[in-house]
Amino acid sequence: MSTSYQVLRGPEHFLPPAAASMGIRLPDPGQGHIHGKIVSEEEAMEAAARQFLSAKVPTIFPGPLVLWAWNEKAAHKATAVRHLYETLKASVTSTQQAMLIPMPDYRPKYPKINPEVEINPNHPNLTIWHNKIDACMFVGVHCHQANLSLKIIRGGTDCYTIAMCAQAGHEDAMLSFRDATAEKIMRLADWVKKLKGSVEPPK
Amino acid sequence: MATQSSVGEKNKAGQTITDPWQMMHDAERTPCFFTGSEVIKEALRRANCDIMIAYPITPQSEAAALAGELFAEGFIGDYFRGESEFAVMSQCAGAAFGGARVFTTTAGPGTMRAMENFPMWAGARLPIQMIVTCRGINSPLSIQPDTLEISYLLNTGMLVWHAETAQDFYDWILKGYMVSEEPDVHLPLALCCDGFFVTHTKDMVSLTPADMCLPPYDPYRSPVPCMDMECPPVRMMRDPFIMKSNYISYATHASWQQEVWAAVERSRKHTVRWLDGLIEVENPGAEILLVSSGTAVSQGREAKVLLEEEGIDVGIVKIKSLRPWPGEEIREATKNAKHIIVPEFNVTGWMAREIKATIPNSERVYAGPRVCGGMTLPPEIIAADIKTLLGIKNKALAGRGS
Amino acid sequence: MSLERIKIAPEMYEIMPPEYQDLVKNATYGNENRGWKDIGTSKELIEEHSLCAGCPESMAFRYILASLPAPEDTVMVGSTGCTSLVFPHVGIHNIHSLFGNQNAIATGLKRALTVRFPGRIKDVVVLAGDGATVDIGLDMTLQAWFRQEKFTTICFDNELYANTGGQESGLMQKGFVAKMAPVGKTFEKVRLPEIARESGCHYVVNCTVSKPNLIEKVIKNAIHIAREIGPTYLQLYTPCILEIGKNSMEGLQEMRDSEKPTERFAYREYISDQAKELLTEMAAKEKERKAEAKRQLASVKA
Repeated sequence: MSTSYQVLRGPEHFLPPAAASMGIRLPDPGQGHIHGKIVSEEEAMEAAARQFLSAKVPTIFPGPLVLWAWNEKAAHKATAVRHLYETLKASVTSTQQAMLIPMPDYRPKYPKINPEVEINPNHPNLTIWHNKIDACMFVGVHCHQANLSLKIIRGGTDCYTIAMCAQAGHEDAMLSFRDATAEKIMRLADWVKKLKGSVEPPK
Repeated sequence: MATQSSVGEKNKAGQTITDPWQMMHDAERTPCFFTGSEVIKEALRRANCDIMIAYPITPQSEAAALAGELFAEGFIGDYFRGESEFAVMSQCAGAAFGGARVFTTTAGPGTMRAMENFPMWAGARLPIQMIVTCRGINSPLSIQPDTLEISYLLNTGMLVWHAETAQDFYDWILKGYMVSEEPDVHLPLALCCDGFFVTHTKDMVSLTPADMCLPPYDPYRSPVPCMDMECPPVRMMRDPFIMKSNYISYATHASWQQEVWAAVERSRKHTVRWLDGLIEVENPGAEILLVSSGTAVSQGREAKVLLEEEGIDVGIVKIKSLRPWPGEEIREATKNAKHIIVPEFNVTGWMAREIKATIPNSERVYAGPRVCGGMTLPPEIIAADIKTLLGIKNKALAGRGS
Repeated sequence: MSLERIKIAPEMYEIMPPEYQDLVKNATYGNENRGWKDIGTSKELIEEHSLCAGCPESMAFRYILASLPAPEDTVMVGSTGCTSLVFPHVGIHNIHSLFGNQNAIATGLKRALTVRFPGRIKDVVVLAGDGATVDIGLDMTLQAWFRQEKFTTICFDNELYANTGGQESGLMQKGFVAKMAPVGKTFEKVRLPEIARESGCHYVVNCTVSKPNLIEKVIKNAIHIAREIGPTYLQLYTPCILEIGKNSMEGLQEMRDSEKPTERFAYREYISDQAKELLTEMAAKEKERKAEAKRQLASVKA
């Protein structure tokens, strides 16, 4: 299906469509996507690093699959995510603030979550707004809940979304990787390091 | 999605776990003369299925009972008869929540009785496979073929495929798991056929080797946590209510629904690959196209032969997948058609409505001929309707005559 | 979860919300001596809930969660109702799918876990209200028992539909005036404990949740018997103080009043012969375990 739809920074709509329903297709192995367009994984790596470095509050949202050391792979990924965060922190300027905020579970929490310490898939916009996050990356979140979050963020905020997905990727993110491994997360950290100083920080 | 890491190993029944693409495309096939029910059994034998749950209702009872024989032979992890279709479909859900590959069969009133489960299955992203051997659903009772129940399944969020032949059935049961278990899809599949026409007639079917089976299902690639206390998060309810009275709760529920239908969309890519397209077109250049699914296609093929004898050129479009709906493919296939004939085995003509909503210049669609309640749809009737449409005089085929 | 999987990745520990840090440090997963007395000194598996203030159901929930013999390998199944407001916040995997199908879900779940984890303990516990258990779900409740499915069914009996606003239920007392029973309920409270016994349950108890030690005992018995032998059923009175016109502080007294010898929640139990044997065997083993622990303690001191 050919489509003119692009997955862009919001706020998009009162109820934005799921990108898949607008004809956006997921990347194949070795590929990523940017705004719904299929690109090479390397291109996506560079673009993600640039988004991080040009954001005021670049943030990583690790989900349950990496927060818990429930198997060896998960433990390695947690190490890689931490490394990415530390690299990001060391690579941004003093006017930028890198954050690492967990999505510990998916339960609807009422009356509200504490947006300073967590993000929740049922109202992720609260954490985005509260911390003024303008670029974020999901990693280790189950795909269904990640898609809910990504779509709600696109609908109501102007945050740039990146998905580091261990499965098939997320067309509801503005930029997505697939088949994420610890090694791939480390590679993204390398890109951040490599581009440090060459990306104009936000005004 | 099935895990590939076990390829080459043996399963509990001693079958070799085989790369599914190789098993379905490269492995040597053996022709057999089987009923549709027996074909269901043979596909299930090779599906590495954990649990099958059965309940008697014609015309699927035989297939459901044959699956029991497979269990007795050690090819299925567990098998039992539930107490009603509603309960069976909930039992299937319980097994799927617990990370099992699940199979069941139903028909007609059973489908309707179980209906509350289907949007729940889809909403919960449970890749259960359900065979639907369609039959009449309204009063007075009829066990005979009738496809009305399919129309009720179309908006559940399930994948819905409509098999024409026993061979379709055999291949699609196995391929169905490969599509529906993909992590970006992970939805239930209703694999439908016309009861009796497919289940109770014998046909030549090419089977893959019985000592090969699909890789097992890997519940840890699921897009939602498996409920076995073996994966995070530990504080997890499948699935919590989202109905607090505020905008964002409603938006979450809306997004959840959209995500289910997004998953249906994502299944396109996999379905096209495994089924070799969502539709199959024969004689695409013809100005008269017969477009339908299931047994109606088979009858259309016979009508095509009759019409060709009279020099009337007819093409066939067989719709294999109803969800996802092959809108673009149908638009492309019908772009040059002057007459689009949609024969159906149900009273409402839901297929014709779907097609009319898909294509430009929908007045080209002739919504018929239709039969229901177990009536056959003779090719002569389809041919006669087409001739009438073309302004060609028919001889009387039924009635008192002149 | 297998105990070894309930572990936060070290690099992520400091960013996890305090309640999760507390959960891995101070919850009693894997502790074979766990019980109601841990409440107040350990991290409970229930985090928070939105039940009404003073609701006896919340007490019942806490006692039950504290008493499960192996929460790290237990999956619970709920149904639609007030319990669904609590379940999202419970530190045990649990399922809600439709109203009334809980015993069908549990049947499929238990069988799936048995196929996937042969030889391992995976307890399944159903916890649903009386509408779900006795009215809309009665068929599936009974059929699971007929089939001898190996899980425990717990019914929170508040004698009405609480979450929808106090309508008549099958377990409501005869004569009680409620929504949908405008002139009073016209038939007797359904005798489900007796039906459970006749349907093949090996352990049936009818009581209130006024005594935590009693709840601990019946929960442990019910789950162990279900694990080894077959279905068990607990009917626990958790009055809906809101719908019977009581105040927040009056739930406990309501239960005490209802468990007097002539009242409908006087303690009643049924234990099949097979289950009796198992309980005797377990008691002997427990005695031996405690004696061994004492001997070891004495030798350490010596």
